Amino acid sequence: MKDSLLTVVRSLIFVAFALVLCALVFQFAGYNAPTMLWAVADGAFLRSGAIEQSLRWALPLFITAVGVGISFRAGFFNIGAQGQFYVGAICAAFAAEAFKGGPAFLVIPALIIAGMLGGALWALWPGLLRLRSGTDEVITTLMGNFMAGLLLVYVTSGPLKDPSGSGQQASSRPLDAAYRISDSLGLSPTIIGIAVAVGILMWLLVNRTAFGVLASLAGRNGTMVEWQGARLWKLGLSSFVISGALAGLAGTIEFMGPNGRIASGFLPAHGFTAILIALVANLNVVGTAAAAVFFGGLASAALYLPIMAGLPAAAIDIINAAIALFITARSKLVDKVLRLGGRPS
Amino acid sequence: MSNPPKPALECRDVTVKFGDVTALSDVAVSFAPGQIHAVVGQNGAGKTTFARVAAGLVQPTAGAVDVMGEEIRTGHVSQSRAAGVELVHQSFALPPSFTVAETMEFGATGKGGIYSRRGLAEKWRTHLAGLDVQVDLNRRIRDLPIETQQGIEIARALVMDARVLILDEPTAVLSPSGIDMLFARVRRLKQRGVTVILILHKIREVLGIADTVTVLRGGRKVEGPLPIAEVSAERLANLIVGDAIAKTLDRHERDALVGTKSPVGEGAGHPENATGPSVLSMTAVSTRPDSEGIALDGIDLDIRPGEIVGIAGVEGNGQKTLVRAISALADLASGSIRLAGQDVTGAPLAARRAIGLRIIPFERNVEGLSLTSSLWQNWSARELLQGSLLKVIRPSAVREACDRSLREWSVHYHNSMQKAGSLSGGNAQKVILAREVDSDARLIIAAQPTRGLDIGATAFVWQALRQARDRGAAILLISSDLDELFDISDRVVVMLSGRVNGEFRAPFDIASVGAAMTDAAARTSA
Ligand SMILES: Nc1ncnc2c1ncn2[C@@H]1O[C@H](COP(=O)(O)OP(=O)(O)OP(=O)(O)O)[C@@H](O)[C@H]1O
Ligand SMILES: [Mg+2]
Repeated sequence: MKDSLLTVVRSLIFVAFALVLCALVFQFAGYNAPTMLWAVADGAFLRSGAIEQSLRWALPLFITAVGVGISFRAGFFNIGAQGQFYVGAICAAFAAEAFKGGPAFLVIPALIIAGMLGGALWALWPGLLRLRSGTDEVITTLMGNFMAGLLLVYVTSGPLKDPSGSGQQASSRPLDAAYRISDSLGLSPTIIGIAVAVGILMWLLVNRTAFGVLASLAGRNGTMVEWQGARLWKLGLSSFVISGALAGLAGTIEFMGPNGRIASGFLPAHGFTAILIALVANLNVVGTAAAAVFFGGLASAALYLPIMAGLPAAAIDIINAAIALFITARSKLVDKVLRLGGRPS
Repeated sequence: MSNPPKPALECRDVTVKFGDVTALSDVAVSFAPGQIHAVVGQNGAGKTTFARVAAGLVQPTAGAVDVMGEEIRTGHVSQSRAAGVELVHQSFALPPSFTVAETMEFGATGKGGIYSRRGLAEKWRTHLAGLDVQVDLNRRIRDLPIETQQGIEIARALVMDARVLILDEPTAVLSPSGIDMLFARVRRLKQRGVTVILILHKIREVLGIADTVTVLRGGRKVEGPLPIAEVSAERLANLIVGDAIAKTLDRHERDALVGTKSPVGEGAGHPENATGPSVLSMTAVSTRPDSEGIALDGIDLDIRPGEIVGIAGVEGNGQKTLVRAISALADLASGSIRLAGQDVTGAPLAARRAIGLRIIPFERNVEGLSLTSSLWQNWSARELLQGSLLKVIRPSAVREACDRSLREWSVHYHNSMQKAGSLSGGNAQKVILAREVDSDARLIIAAQPTRGLDIGATAFVWQALRQARDRGAAILLISSDLDELFDISDRVVVMLSGRVNGEFRAPFDIASVGAAMTDAAARTSA
């Protein structure tokens, strides 16, 4: 347990480094760094209503990130959360057309299931390709993101096109209010309930089932698990499919909740932020929740930056990218500092 | 001994602690230059830690290290290197896709840059030839036998004009002929004035090669360096395990362990136990050729309950494929395999394990354990796979069961959450045994089960295998150590080129077994 604490501390140090680095960059670019940092903190958590706004972003991110963590743990680098998120939303939108007029207590679960199946499907084929012919899943899932993005453009300007749309961005017809699971603020008991349920179920799956232990062993040493008689494809493919289903669920929530429709190219950074969250949390479910709140805060601050600090909202992308850089670099230096006087390895 | 030369390597009261574990405590030892020194001790005695301190890989908690009379800054590889100390690791790993020349260039100098293949080969040819490593410099590491890889690893360590070369359990990965080759190499280094420190487990090897021997036990130095002429095999065994334990070993076991008697084992010979229907029955099994080793060619093999069958053979004659075939990890071209009366020819490993197949695999660190996972996860994998994947577990209960089992097997570890990679080699092997040798085991494949184990642990493994045999399990023992095979096998089968090339019953005759190992014409049956 001391180890997982250590990882969290380490991640926080990375994040702090990244923020300082960004502040310096902006300072040199002629902005006022302290004001910027203050604007981020204020926009994310301090201002009244900021916490709700941060949670609105955090919950879908958390759901996707938990899934990413599960596939990474099993040694499958599913980079395709973004595509699975889109396909999930698209499937839910089609289901909404199909079930139009049905009673809400049936249609809402049906849409959610459709969205999860869509996401799962979009993870299934790269998983099968990897297991059948060893195709690198990083490449296939990355390609899958672009394919899903184009599919989204197609359905929003074709089959699901909203004829009364203003034309700026192609989008689908709005979902009937009866089937919405939140208003446009995006925080409702249903969404919180779904996120909590996902968190608990996935925590149990990872920490309290044979599957969790074996998938983690398989992720670290597949050969050993094979010598124990495990079918790697069972562990790997199910991890892959779960991660896709969760990304699809997040897409469905965005569709049925705050957005109420799907638009071409909506939330283009969702999947990548989720990957970042999973990595910051070191694939740990509880850590993912904490990291999701943090990144949700950054997302909500993004809307606030232009007003407060005169910065473009894209500044948040730079902060995210800087964090990604530090996390993936996994600096030896920080390790050394943390082990101060500790065990050499 | 007036005015003795400065010691090549001297440790002054070195203490190393890893958290709560004291790996070395107040070790003071000095090694004379130009000699071959053996360092021995039980698993976890601190041998590897000592080597890593000398090489600058571990910063001691207290104490100092001198090389050639000069104190070096501890805990810095570059400092140890500059002083001329090089270490070849217990489980060394060369980059498999590199050619020999590339390995030498980048492994030794650590520098990148533009190079031509021919230029590199030219550059390193003389160096390797000088160390008697015969190899085509353009071949890839993965295509080379382990003996040659080790030769390259040693050559790499000697690029920087090493004056002290430490080899950590170099014989553990070698076949008997490989060991002879290694020792010849070590003697030549000695002639060139290099001080060689060998970490070894086998007393016969110590007596055969070393000028002095130093014994560690529980992180402390027990004796040494003692001139080899002053120690007998008997005394050395006592020093290693401690007198108390030494007394509990019986005469017969002792001889096999000490390995000084020439191996004409009478064998354990319990053929009267082995009468039931075969537990394993392979009929005309051939495998499809694959990249992992030579294919099996019409293997017939039967093992009855209560029988230990040893597989002898020069390494690379199909022993690994045999294990993979029984474990459903190699494709059969023809033939059939029955396990406890059931035809499992097409059955997956999980089904075979459910019948009672247990495997102690060749590659402990790859096939046996996930080094970066915790001990309890490693230990529980077999049981977890027998139930449904969604079975709910309580990790605390699993950890308790794991603790109980590991204690029973007297594994030295700190707690079950620690990573398997932090155990000493011998203790890691015991974790695998604790997992694989259970009361439901019906056929236990033990591939080199005592490799890298100290003599106490080796006796322990033999005991465990015998007990499993006496419970009625069938055991397939694969070993390159003939002492071991002859001592505990009821029957020895020799493999050559993927075929069975002779079968022997106790008392074993080393000459005819040896002939069957190397010569296809000597197809005899005693
Ligand atoms: N990195 C580490 N972290 C924690 N404990 C360690 C570490 N390295 C070694 N130890 C512990 O220190 C002790 C000495 O280990 P060491 O590897 O030196 O033994 P050894 O004599 O080489 O054993 P073997 O014959 O099995 O290779 C053991 O108890 C081991 O578990
Ligand atoms: Mg060791």
